[in-house]
Amino acid sequence: MSNYTHPYTAGVSVAAGVALFFTVAPVLLILLYAFSPTSYLSFPPTGVTLKWFSNFFANTRFQNALWNSLGIAAIVTPISLAIALPTAVAIVRHEFTGKKLLLGALLSPLLIPGVITGIAFLSFAVSVGIGTGFRAIVLAMICFTLPFSLRPLVANLHGVDHDLEKAARNLGAGPIEAFFRVTLPQLKPGLIAGAVFAFVEAIDNFAITAFLTDVKTSTLPIEAFGYIRDFDDPTVAAMASVLIALSVVLVFLIERVVGLDRFLANR
Amino acid sequence: MKRATPFLLITPALLVLGLFAVSLFSFIGISFLKQDPGGASFGGPLSLDNYAKAIGSEYVRHVAFQTFMLAVKVTALAILLGFPLAYVLARSPSPLVRNTILFGLVATFLSGGVTRAYAWMLILGNKGVVNSILSGLGLPALPLINNEFAVIVSVLNFAMPFFVLTLFGTLQAIPVSLEHAARNLGASRTRVFLEVTWPLALPGLVAASSLVFAIGLAAFLFPELLGGGKVHVSATSIYQKIQTDYDLPSAAALSVLFLALTFAVFAFFGLVQRSFARRVQKRQQAAPERLPQAQPA
Repeated sequence: MSNYTHPYTAGVSVAAGVALFFTVAPVLLILLYAFSPTSYLSFPPTGVTLKWFSNFFANTRFQNALWNSLGIAAIVTPISLAIALPTAVAIVRHEFTGKKLLLGALLSPLLIPGVITGIAFLSFAVSVGIGTGFRAIVLAMICFTLPFSLRPLVANLHGVDHDLEKAARNLGAGPIEAFFRVTLPQLKPGLIAGAVFAFVEAIDNFAITAFLTDVKTSTLPIEAFGYIRDFDDPTVAAMASVLIALSVVLVFLIERVVGLDRFLANR
Repeated sequence: MKRATPFLLITPALLVLGLFAVSLFSFIGISFLKQDPGGASFGGPLSLDNYAKAIGSEYVRHVAFQTFMLAVKVTALAILLGFPLAYVLARSPSPLVRNTILFGLVATFLSGGVTRAYAWMLILGNKGVVNSILSGLGLPALPLINNEFAVIVSVLNFAMPFFVLTLFGTLQAIPVSLEHAARNLGASRTRVFLEVTWPLALPGLVAASSLVFAIGLAAFLFPELLGGGKVHVSATSIYQKIQTDYDLPSAAALSVLFLALTFAVFAFFGLVQRSFARRVQKRQQAAPERLPQAQPA
């Protein structure tokens, strides 16, 4: 056996292990704390309880925030994808002046600090009269999530053979029919990745949303932020566990439908 | 018709961009106005007073420097911790190891920022996990929260999945056969890493680092929750200008300066990335002469 079958030393493995532990430890701790019968952390755990979950689901502020967050994400995700799809087609399949500039501009919300985007949308929403709240958050989140849904679609489309669509055209299919029946099915990984990123970013956003919520409309991260400041018990850990469970279900779905490797290769 | 197609396709995106641009520029416009003292409104005449005040303020310069340094520290630590993890993820022969890492990273990534900020409060707090372990061992408690340390640790933790998953793509694309060939020719592990892997990984490393740097510069939630009001960074100082001082024009001027800092940093990253990409291209062109053709693994 040659000595390079194992591509790295034990030292590298240990460093990677430490890095992985550092990355996932907070998530594991939250899960542990959510079931803790005491409102402080004790090791080893003294028992298991679901009272923080019922606390979370019984809290009307959290309930409102939960429905707002889900509603915002449910509206924003399909709109963001519907805008990203034709844009990706134009960027990958067509030549036009200013294409690089357009792509750069579309990805810029990733670089602009969220606080600035948040205040900018606040002053815009106030000046055009829609005010703070649900509609303002939806608008801001469409802008903010667009690059997240666009990037995987552009990457995915680069890997799709254009000749197949051209063949369909030669066989008599119209341009729209050829796209929907030949190309679109091959964009499944990009669409799923884009949808997941847009959905998660819309639910989890804090910096932008913090400026756009009001007394009537709040979201989960904003409510959690307030709760953490006022109370010292695991209710927010229970909320976080619900979101983590949701994300784990998403990860399994992705793995089932497209495979994690492909999902990430499209980022 | 053919020429019109791409414009038809990008129209929705242009509308979104327009909305974004209008918001941003109207906000920037406010930075040239003045807050009415004691009032809720602001007005003319146009002036650069807010900028002069901001640039002249020692506090603002200190905050800008601290923000920049926070991003530098987080990025350096992300490279130190993230590189080995990305490397193992790209090269481990065991699917179990690769899937465990991938699953951990993706689940963490999807679990969100507030969740993890809260987790770090529980870990680093004065009665948190670390300090209760220390007191259990009869050791004195450490001040781990409400300081820059806590902010660095939590921002680093938030940035890790972004860093590792971005770098992983580049590492995976480097043919293992190149590393094998160098080893066959008698190069040591260290030399293979330094002369083959590292230069080929550089463009991806710069991309991953610039992403982490952006996260570090923009950090808002983590300094708010874990800084205990003692860690002042650009995002929190802008927020404060609005929430406490009700001074939107000053906040707008600070935001413009903050944006300028962000874009300057990214222009620099872009330059570095392009020069590395050129070097890698040269190397790859030269490679066939220097290395024997390796069999695909």
